[in-house]
Amino acid sequence: MGILFTRMFSSLFGNREARILVLGLDNAGKTTILYRLQMGEVVSTIPTIGFNVETVQYNNIKFQVWDLGGQTSIRPYWRCYFPNTQAVIYVVDSSDTDRLVTAKDEFHAILEEEELKGAVVLVFANKQDLPGALDDAAITEALELHKIKSRQWAIFKTSAIKGEGLFEGLDWLSNTLKPGGG
Amino acid sequence: MFSLFYGLWNYMFSKTEFHVLILGVDKAGKTTLLEKLKSLYSNLEGLPPDRIVPTVGLNIGRVEASNAKLVFWDLGGQIGLRTIWEKYYEEAHAIVYVIDAGCSSSFEDSKSALGKVLRHEDLQGAPLLILANKQDLPGAVSTEELVRYLDLKELNERLYMFEAVSAYNGTGIKFAIDWLVDVMERSKRTEMLRVRAGVTGHV
Repeated sequence: MGILFTRMFSSLFGNREARILVLGLDNAGKTTILYRLQMGEVVSTIPTIGFNVETVQYNNIKFQVWDLGGQTSIRPYWRCYFPNTQAVIYVVDSSDTDRLVTAKDEFHAILEEEELKGAVVLVFANKQDLPGALDDAAITEALELHKIKSRQWAIFKTSAIKGEGLFEGLDWLSNTLKPGGG
Repeated sequence: MFSLFYGLWNYMFSKTEFHVLILGVDKAGKTTLLEKLKSLYSNLEGLPPDRIVPTVGLNIGRVEASNAKLVFWDLGGQIGLRTIWEKYYEEAHAIVYVIDAGCSSSFEDSKSALGKVLRHEDLQGAPLLILANKQDLPGAVSTEELVRYLDLKELNERLYMFEAVSAYNGTGIKFAIDWLVDVMERSKRTEMLRVRAGVTGHV
């Protein structure tokens, strides 16, 4: 009964929840993004082994954001977190041009996962503050985003350090995850 | 055995799914159109126009209209993003090209972008619906004026229509979509795409 009231309350006042996975190669900036979103500050991070999870309240949506470690050896464990995911935020280090091919391969492997079929995709072309960072159009090309034809996607230029672009991305997510927006 | 019959049943009775590309320069109103289509043809409520932000990627709308299944692909129109348009051409049954009829300073850009679309070989024979959008604005030009302005040379044999619409309040949209479905159903391109899908094994 209590649950019923909670549900009614949250559906009336639009407080919805969404489960979001933050994925990407190691050193893309996933953890920095997570804490920038959650606390609004830059924290010093160490490579994530395992995961960080935080709740970010934004635009009437409670985003449960899972940041999973990106090193090669632990990428196979990403799939343990796939069920019930509404959106994937894929973070790319836009200045790391040598590894864009790897980033692309990992990205398309994720998209083929059955359990993520219904998830929308948000790409953060991160580290725009660094010299030599590729812009959104170039990252779109490098990741071959155009191969996505059956789900919504968007790309944003971000700098987690400067805090740029991140909330524009969340705006897009909250529009897209809105019932009827997708 | 069951799957055989099921396949046959599907083959005979399922509706073709049409892929329709919504193109146009930035601020033409493509996403507003998409959201309007969602609210006109499905029981989903589209996003209200004031919540729509510039598209940097792909928005998708799936609706049923005039007894056909339509999948709309709405792509971002900013100059840097137009390079991805052509990646979606091959699988598109038709193009909806949106122009802000209230903003004459955008016509030149619209015209050249449309010319490029029409010259692309992957879009051969794709029916074209050109929407003179934003008719709710006082300064919006008529379709006749737009036809004169665009002065399209690349139309050749292509089936096309100009229509004055307002994605904001919905004027003209149903008429335009009815036309689109009708021409897609009898276009050679649809036949060609169907054959190709059959060859590669998926619908």
